[in-house]
Amino acid sequence: MKRTLVILLRNPLSLIGVILVALVVLSAIFADFIAPFPEHRGSVVDFVNFNKAPNATNIMGTDLVGRDLFSRIIYAFRISLVLGVVVLAIATPIGTLVGLFAGYVGGKTEFILMRLTDVFLSIPPLVLAIAMMGVLEPTLMNAMLAVTAMWWPWYARLVYNIARSEREEGYVLAAEVIGASTPHIALREILPNCLPAILTKMTLDMGFVIIIASSLSFLGLGVQPPTPDLGSMVAEGARYLPDSWWLTVFPGLAILIAVFGFNLVGDALREILGADQ
Amino acid sequence: MTPVLRLLARRLGISLIVLVGVSMLIFGIARVIPGDPARIALGPNATAEQVDALRESLHLNEAIPVQYGYFVKDLLRGDLGTSLYTNRPVTQDIAQFLPATLELVLFAGILMVGIGLPLGIWSARYRGRWPDHVIRLVSLLGVSAPSFVWAVILMLLFAFFLPIFPIAGRISDIYEIERVTGFLLIDTLLAGNLAAFRDAFWHIVLPAFALAVSGIGQAARLTRANMVETYDKPYIEMAQAYGFRARRIARKYAFKPSLIPSLTIIGLDFAAMLGNAFLVEAVFAWPGLSRYGVAVILRKDLNAIIGTVLIISATFLIVNLIVDLLIAFLNPRIRYSQRGSS
Amino acid sequence: MAIWNTSLAAGLLAATALVSPALAGGTLRLDEVAVGELDPAKASDYADSILMFNVYDTLVLPAQGAAGHVPHLAESWTSDGNTFTFTLRDGAAFQSGNPVTADDVVYSLDRTKALGAGLSYLFGVVESAEAVDARTVRFTLSSPYAPFVASLTRLPIVDKALVEASKAADDTWGEAFLSGNGAGSGAYVVTAHNPQEETVMEKNGSYFLDIAEAAPDQVRLRYGLEAATVRTLIAQGEHDISSQWLPPEVMKALADDGAQLFTEGGTGAFYLKMNTTKPPLDDVNCRLALSEAFDYDTSIRMIAITDEVSGGSPATGAIPKGMFGANDASMALMQDLDAAKAHLDACAYDPAEMDIEISWIAEVPLEERFALLFQSNLTALGVKSHIVKMPWALFAEQVSKPENTPHISQLFVNAVTGDPDTLLYGMYHSSTPGTWQSPEYLNDAKVDEYLEAGRMAATEEERGEAYAMLNARLMEIAPTIYAYDRQSVFAASSRVTAPALTDPAQAFGLDGMGFTFRLMEVAD
Repeated sequence: MKRTLVILLRNPLSLIGVILVALVVLSAIFADFIAPFPEHRGSVVDFVNFNKAPNATNIMGTDLVGRDLFSRIIYAFRISLVLGVVVLAIATPIGTLVGLFAGYVGGKTEFILMRLTDVFLSIPPLVLAIAMMGVLEPTLMNAMLAVTAMWWPWYARLVYNIARSEREEGYVLAAEVIGASTPHIALREILPNCLPAILTKMTLDMGFVIIIASSLSFLGLGVQPPTPDLGSMVAEGARYLPDSWWLTVFPGLAILIAVFGFNLVGDALREILGADQ
Repeated sequence: MTPVLRLLARRLGISLIVLVGVSMLIFGIARVIPGDPARIALGPNATAEQVDALRESLHLNEAIPVQYGYFVKDLLRGDLGTSLYTNRPVTQDIAQFLPATLELVLFAGILMVGIGLPLGIWSARYRGRWPDHVIRLVSLLGVSAPSFVWAVILMLLFAFFLPIFPIAGRISDIYEIERVTGFLLIDTLLAGNLAAFRDAFWHIVLPAFALAVSGIGQAARLTRANMVETYDKPYIEMAQAYGFRARRIARKYAFKPSLIPSLTIIGLDFAAMLGNAFLVEAVFAWPGLSRYGVAVILRKDLNAIIGTVLIISATFLIVNLIVDLLIAFLNPRIRYSQRGSS
Repeated sequence: MAIWNTSLAAGLLAATALVSPALAGGTLRLDEVAVGELDPAKASDYADSILMFNVYDTLVLPAQGAAGHVPHLAESWTSDGNTFTFTLRDGAAFQSGNPVTADDVVYSLDRTKALGAGLSYLFGVVESAEAVDARTVRFTLSSPYAPFVASLTRLPIVDKALVEASKAADDTWGEAFLSGNGAGSGAYVVTAHNPQEETVMEKNGSYFLDIAEAAPDQVRLRYGLEAATVRTLIAQGEHDISSQWLPPEVMKALADDGAQLFTEGGTGAFYLKMNTTKPPLDDVNCRLALSEAFDYDTSIRMIAITDEVSGGSPATGAIPKGMFGANDASMALMQDLDAAKAHLDACAYDPAEMDIEISWIAEVPLEERFALLFQSNLTALGVKSHIVKMPWALFAEQVSKPENTPHISQLFVNAVTGDPDTLLYGMYHSSTPGTWQSPEYLNDAKVDEYLEAGRMAATEEERGEAYAMLNARLMEIAPTIYAYDRQSVFAASSRVTAPALTDPAQAFGLDGMGFTFRLMEVAD
């Protein structure tokens, strides 16, 4: 663990990644102290200072009802991160369990579970989430649900591939010989061997979840106003291009920075842990 | 039966099972939509009797499995029902909008392969030197933003700020092109109208590039990773020891084995692009299936939602099938003995 | 930022040279946000109206710059109690070449009533129509209905023979045919109709009236363009008239670039409608509190485009200025937080437990700002609220049940015939609850009484009196927050001339009729 950290911080690229992630995470946590206008995360209106280009008071300008864009972006990081963490925290265990049992048990279980996974995987990722959000009320909760529904199969697939190759390994056969139960072998013997791959994928996926979630809200199927959300800010601002460019450019760059940070760290982790898919 | 044919049969079978699964999943999702589709279809001023009559004719009063039965029966006759939004058969809507999306996605796919692979190869060749660093950084940036952010940024830079490209649509109004394939780049050529072809080409560049950016990044990253791995193989070191030229080594010995894993990912990226087309079409007012899809979802147009998702999934499955076959042809191990991964 | 803007302007100029292949000659290009419904019996919104008014003709037209109606397909009419007899103009023909006959008028009415969609509710009181002879048609009403002639501006005459010949056997009213083809006598012929992209129309060479040479030869009505797209296309000279739904900032940016601003108004308003069946809004004091808390001044500032042109003017009451029974312009509504608090204290519900649901229509981004404005007004009053975005189709469905109808629905409503009856009856009469324009679910005996008096009254004075009483009663029971009297604004390139949208003396006073293409001119 410590060694990993040292390597992370020594490579300039991954160091940048760590810094970006830290920036995003810290500003999300301490938004109340960092945002110049914390109350602007809600439905404040100021029709004197609306639609202002970046200036000394509002370094990223103000939106169409006069709220400080910088403050709202900082609070939007909070939503993105919460969403990412929750989705991965739900999708990973589900996918892992499905993949583990399909891969280890084999036979009919494998066929049914993996065909089910294939069904989910053969709807292009965003399309499934869009279809689900079309059904559900657009709330943060449901957006998490929809993204989770499209996410778990990837973990199922990943763990399945590892578990299937591990099932012929000596240590598994040994455990079978001494009569260990199926759940014991799957969870205690095979799972630990999948962990590095899972962890790396989670770091890399943090960025992708942010991308997908912002895509949903870009289409108006995600978090609703006045809650600040990067995707809906870009969508809203895109109507006012090119005159009010700050409305789209800054939230767009914010997504880029956050995801880029997570990707840099995830890349580095993958190299260090040597977990290739 | 040859192994390749057996593989094809097996993949086709699985694809069919998956497609049935997808249809059930989407059908289930579409039927639990809150709100009465009949009421929505008839509009705000319809009477209760009219709503009831429409519910009856759409079988909306039956149990969901029964409704699914009707759906499958119609589907087998090539009938996906009528879109409540456009008042036309869904198949007709899809036939109209799908080519625009396919054209966009295929064009983006060409960009992805045409730019992503060379970047990856180049990066691997100069491993550890500055071209490698630059390419890796740029391709990582590419995958780090959703396509709508790229779309908006590209639009701002190259349609608004430096107005090189048009900002919306597939072709300028002044051209009336007879529709043969629905692919404007092909139809304009068939019509022999070079000016229209240029115009259509000019329209597709920006949206396709926005759609391809993350695919390009992904393809470059993967190709690089795979080639670096093969570069470490003994036969390459041998070739280097024999003094073969670097370019020849790259092309002949490192590239081909690296192509196989890249192809798999390209198939997946193609799927991602079918989804991301939803975002890019929205920004560039591209009259495609994705834009239609969003419109019908917002309007709870059941038949159209099911039809759209089914068609997109089927397209995706077909692409994956093609990719699998390509891999089978390229990879002797799969070609001859096949205990393929499913 | 000055640098950005200058280079942008330069860029937009350069774009014309680089991007546009050639300037379209005699073509008028405009856009609408919604999908265009070509079937005249199903037409209801603005895009549909534009199609209806150009592809089809009606028996009468609203007089330009004045009250009342003038002959169009009809050359004259008489009324006797509940019967109206129209004599058709001699020599008018459909685009197919078929003559326009009384039979076609009867068919058009029957079809509209049978399909029951669009604006068919306007003809609920029409018991029957019969063709007396080829050029005479007689309507019989079931009860007195003062705005009957006005409602005929919404009865497009369909070419019966053509529909009968073209429709499929199992399609009684030719719905499939008419949703994709025109069958009218109008000045413009539909040459291509694609409901998601555009409708293309061309000048009808054999129209029964003279059409100016400079009127557009071809019209392209495009659907669903993004605001940013329209903004740039107009700046690049590739688009002529924007929809009215372009946000004010974008209109302003275009006006600053030299675009003209067209206006059409006086027949409608912007409303925040309160669900009077849902606690706490079933208490009149609560509704009054919300009405007093609304910031009317700021809302006027929000819709201002330039110093001269605005998306509306201050409301003075429940009836837009200029209609029967409207209050004087000096009586503009104002925010009064003290009065609001007093009403809130008198309300039976505890303000601490309220959570007002403010909806806005996803297709109209401006409404999101009003939702935020009202939310902040409510916060000032100490009332909690939340905002819900609804696509139009879903909204129209949700309001069909009072329990699904949000507390606050934001709506732009226009009198579809220009008569106050069509604005107010559908909104407030207890017999018409739960349509998209009546999410109030109002049930008030006095309101019903005044509404009925207004539509049955024989003279203009009596109608005026009835609507003045109605206005007072509505302000007393506050079913709705009357945010502002609306004026539709359109940004247009300088090559278009549209007197009906710029000169009050030539305005029709009927929403959408300003877009009568034969009266417009485009410079090459």
